[in-house]
Amino acid sequence: MAEELIRLKDLVKIYDTGAIKVLGLKRINLTINRGEFVAIMGKSGSGKSTLMNILGCLDRPSMGHYYLDGIDVASMTPNQLSEIRNKKIGFVFQSFNLISRTSALKNVELPMTYARVGKKARRERALKLLDRVGLLSRAHHQPNELSGGQRQRVAIARALANEPPLILADEPTGNLDTAASEEIMGLFAQLHKEGATVVVVTHEENIAEFTDRIIRFQDGLVISDERRGGGGSAV
Amino acid sequence: MLFENMSMAFSAIRVNKMRSFLTMLGIIIGIGSVISIVSIGDTMRSLFADLYKDVGVTQAYMCVGYWIDDRRMSDYFTLDDMERVKEVFGDSITYIDSAASVGAEAINKKTTVNFDYTGIDYNYIDVQPVDMVYGRYLNEGDVLGRKKNVVMDVDSAMLLFGMENAVGQTFRTDLYGNVDEFTVVGVYKKEMNAFQALMMGGRSDRGSAFVPYTLLTWPNDYFYYLRLFASEDVDLNEFFDQLKAYVSNIKGREPEDMYMETAMEQMNSVDTVMGGLSAAVGGIAAISLLVGGIGIMNIMLVSVTERTREIGIRKSLGAKTRDILIQFLTESAILSACGGIIGIVIGVGLVSGIGMAFGIGAVIRPSVVVLAVSFSAAVGVFFGLYPASKAAKADPIDALRYE
Repeated sequence: MAEELIRLKDLVKIYDTGAIKVLGLKRINLTINRGEFVAIMGKSGSGKSTLMNILGCLDRPSMGHYYLDGIDVASMTPNQLSEIRNKKIGFVFQSFNLISRTSALKNVELPMTYARVGKKARRERALKLLDRVGLLSRAHHQPNELSGGQRQRVAIARALANEPPLILADEPTGNLDTAASEEIMGLFAQLHKEGATVVVVTHEENIAEFTDRIIRFQDGLVISDERRGGGGSAV
Repeated sequence: MLFENMSMAFSAIRVNKMRSFLTMLGIIIGIGSVISIVSIGDTMRSLFADLYKDVGVTQAYMCVGYWIDDRRMSDYFTLDDMERVKEVFGDSITYIDSAASVGAEAINKKTTVNFDYTGIDYNYIDVQPVDMVYGRYLNEGDVLGRKKNVVMDVDSAMLLFGMENAVGQTFRTDLYGNVDEFTVVGVYKKEMNAFQALMMGGRSDRGSAFVPYTLLTWPNDYFYYLRLFASEDVDLNEFFDQLKAYVSNIKGREPEDMYMETAMEQMNSVDTVMGGLSAAVGGIAAISLLVGGIGIMNIMLVSVTERTREIGIRKSLGAKTRDILIQFLTESAILSACGGIIGIVIGVGLVSGIGMAFGIGAVIRPSVVVLAVSFSAAVGVFFGLYPASKAAKADPIDALRYE
């Protein structure tokens, strides 16, 4: 039996804009197991970004529970959420979100810095990760000296820094050309094959094609959840 | 983590070199002016202290108060009074005279120079040392015998005789209505720095000379003032009180009827005034530090807004509120402390330069320097607190969305 990594139970997110309350997510129940490669799809306004923020512990649900790696994170304080993000989640963003004027190496080291990893261990691991994404030779380059695909690979290396159980990618190929997109998705597939749990939020069908499970959102609800061939999916 | 924060802060400061420098400028000017002003004040105080040391810190003048209405003949001192005081107080008094001086024209052939004559006892050289370059100082015989011998400084000798070695030269002068012939028995030199020369009058077209004090009390030997130097070993306040009590007693007056002026009191009051003045001006200069601090706050607020996205990224990677707070506080503290250090270098350089130009040893208290650096860093932390807490409180989702 596969082990549960993410479990959403009756999860509701309400946006209170003052005058009106908007229901962002309506009683979502969802389970993602360790080692799955999942795409979350939906048009803009479907609630997929809201879900992404909650899965990433950047936001808290209004009601219900979110168990990440067995921990109920729904009622945690912002600082506790910081720690969860640091240890449990590796983010990959559409716009890369590397810190500018800071070398690729320093960028990869950053999550370990916040985890108070020693300087030497940090450097060693960062170099190893850059090697893994094929950018060892660019370790001392700054983000503006790298191509989009390279930047995203640095971001992936950074996401792996603290060996988080969950890799969360938000439109990771949104700013990339087809070749770079395939390269990045190939890298995620590789990570998945090595046992990582990867959740990709996207609106592109061809990107979702790379994954084993596609969860579709519309109007704050899950409208379909299809598992496709390949390994790692739940029973 | 501290090291990371410092290196992050330095790289952030380097990115906007010009902006960082302009931000620091407020602190540079503030610290620079506070250090200069306080050090100039300290230097002046030490110069005055030296000046008084030169005049003799234990020196005192005494007479019956000028506010007394019923003047009596016995209010004047006599040579006997002086002898009694000397006997009673013994070793507590190192020197005593009648504090008499007079100005008169000195005539050498066709040269006439205005001279100031100071009446002294032969041991005046013990309390006011001078370097005898020619001849000798006045001696006991000159004083007891009321000899018309004088000792003058090199400059006065040049004025009157056109030469430094004027020993044996004679000139005519008129003390108290009698024109007499005086003989130069010695010429001395006194080293003074620029400040002392300025305060003491320095070179002028007037000459000055020492004469036996007994010449100036002549003919009736009554005088209004006593001037004395106390020994350095005695408690001056206690000694002066005892002296006042004794002298008032022999003069048939109350101690509070006596007027006494001491170098120590003068020195203390000058020091108090100078200290107060430099503290006040330094305080005004410190206002510029406040302005500098506001400049830092302003630029940090801009920096926080500009780097909202960076803050969002850092938070998504696990930075806690405290991490962001410390990062920005470190930046503003370093900005301010760098400004402070540059300000110190400029301030100290300025004061030392001025001191050197005037040949005066500038006094720069290390405590002032330490205080200035800590104060500037504190200014940075204080004024960085608001921008940093604004950064730390940023919501990661909003911050990440910020363009």
